[in-house]
Amino acid sequence: MKEIKLKVNGIDYILNIDEDIRLIDLLRDKLRLTGTKEGCGEGECGACTVIMDGVSVNSCLVMAFQADGSNILTIEGLEEEGKLHPIQKAFIEEGAIQCGYCTPGMIMSVKALLDKQPYPSREEIRKGISGNLCRCTGYNKIVDATEMAIKYIKEEGV
Amino acid sequence: MNLNIVGKDILRVDGLSKVTGKALYPQDLYIDDMIYGKTLRSDKSHAYIEVDIKEAEKIKGIIKIFTYKDVPINHYGVVFKDHEVFCREKVRQIGDPIAFVVGENERVCKEALKKIKVYYEEIEGVFNPIDAMREDSPKIHGDTNIVYHYKLKKGNIEEGYSNSYVVVENTYKTHMVDHAFLQPEAGLAFVDKENILTVMVATQYPHYDREEVAAALNLSQEEVKIINTNVGGAFGGREDISLQIHLALAAYTLKKPVKAIYSREESFIAHSKRHPLIMKYKTGADKNGYLQIMEAEIIGDTGAYASWATNVLRKSGVHATGPYFIPNVKVDSYAVYTNNLFAGAMRGFGATQVPVAHEQQMDILAEKLGIDPISIRMKNIFKKGSVSATGQIMLESVPIDRCIEEVVKNIGFSMSVGRG
Repeated sequence: MKEIKLKVNGIDYILNIDEDIRLIDLLRDKLRLTGTKEGCGEGECGACTVIMDGVSVNSCLVMAFQADGSNILTIEGLEEEGKLHPIQKAFIEEGAIQCGYCTPGMIMSVKALLDKQPYPSREEIRKGISGNLCRCTGYNKIVDATEMAIKYIKEEGV
Repeated sequence: MNLNIVGKDILRVDGLSKVTGKALYPQDLYIDDMIYGKTLRSDKSHAYIEVDIKEAEKIKGIIKIFTYKDVPINHYGVVFKDHEVFCREKVRQIGDPIAFVVGENERVCKEALKKIKVYYEEIEGVFNPIDAMREDSPKIHGDTNIVYHYKLKKGNIEEGYSNSYVVVENTYKTHMVDHAFLQPEAGLAFVDKENILTVMVATQYPHYDREEVAAALNLSQEEVKIINTNVGGAFGGREDISLQIHLALAAYTLKKPVKAIYSREESFIAHSKRHPLIMKYKTGADKNGYLQIMEAEIIGDTGAYASWATNVLRKSGVHATGPYFIPNVKVDSYAVYTNNLFAGAMRGFGATQVPVAHEQQMDILAEKLGIDPISIRMKNIFKKGSVSATGQIMLESVPIDRCIEEVVKNIGFSMSVGRG
């Protein structure tokens, strides 16, 4: 067992963890933040994407002890005071969701992209979500939703 | 007409729960005192087996290891009951379930999987459906590998050939495809307060699952409940039973909630695939490009289990002509067992594969006749009033011409190009 300290969605945690668990196991099994999904367990599908110290990571490829001292944002931390983040709002309105299993990871990748680059081209959006597989939508609506989110963020000044 | 929904943008009712991460899939369910299950699967394609669970049972934290001996009725399947809940004496494909290990956590279950001894006596397998159709081929079930033969005949074959100026004959093959839905199979089963055996699972058919779970456990359907959670994609891949009976059996026997989650790797070998087809086509047209005859032999590899093979290969046969009027038609479509991974429902259900054949035949006919590929299609497509090879009269909407015109416009194809 190892003690680690980390911040998840703005809350500080001190946790005793087994050395062999992954960040995704910590989030899901320990903290019950099940919005972060496991699709492949080997970094191919991006369903487990979270933002770690400002960078999007596959939480299935990060060991939990490696997250010691870090600041993690998951899909559950995106709403502020019960208000949807513009990306979440845009995904609903554009119909960029079908089965929904890729959605949390996809939204986190879009968030990481827009945090770094507020006005990406369509091509850059596609590149930004290229680590996330969606089997249902065909991606067009996800790119459309991202463009709508960019508009909302600009309007709201988030 | 005043429509409230059609033609309007409607927000998904489950949109909010999905963008906030609150939508629950089976892997997201946790219950107090829950225990875990893991499946031991065959790594051989065709073999007699003996299973020894003694060592594995001794591992601390292992609660029970289920094999065929623990299943009241060991057979299931959507059409034919050719699947075994756990293989009794023979495995027929890689991934066949042999045992279900239940333990306090996933770690001990994985450890126990390694300690189960399976003695395989390998027997000759068959991996090509054409070989599998031969009388002297190894048999997967019973005394023939041919599960189904669909026959379609229309008009006069001899006349079709004598009226043809050009006849092209080719064989086309399509490959196995996995659905690759994003959410691997998972489930949670428990006996509820009213003594109802409950299985929470992501499925395409909760009502069929209930029938199959009840039948395997020899219970009445009223004693079984299936709760469909959010489904993380399916595309046909969740039409067959995967872990429902294993979980139900464990929860019912042990009177404890039991959860299982498949890895992506296990998911790939546990569920069905798209049927690979071998399609032998002979198509003839007259000098002006009007189709006169089509003969097709379609052989579908359904792997070790039939699943929906009869329905899929029937659909391949029905759709074999494509959207074209042909006066003389003969189709023989077969579903055949092999030792490959089993095939079942997958988007299009047999209708997706045949265009690979009938459309290439059209292109080759056009080339031989010196007609462009669009014109030959426009001459032969179904119109209002057309009669299909199966005798269906098209009375309603048949806008294939409009569809082709749009395509021509959008790809910038010039009708004069290629015209002989």
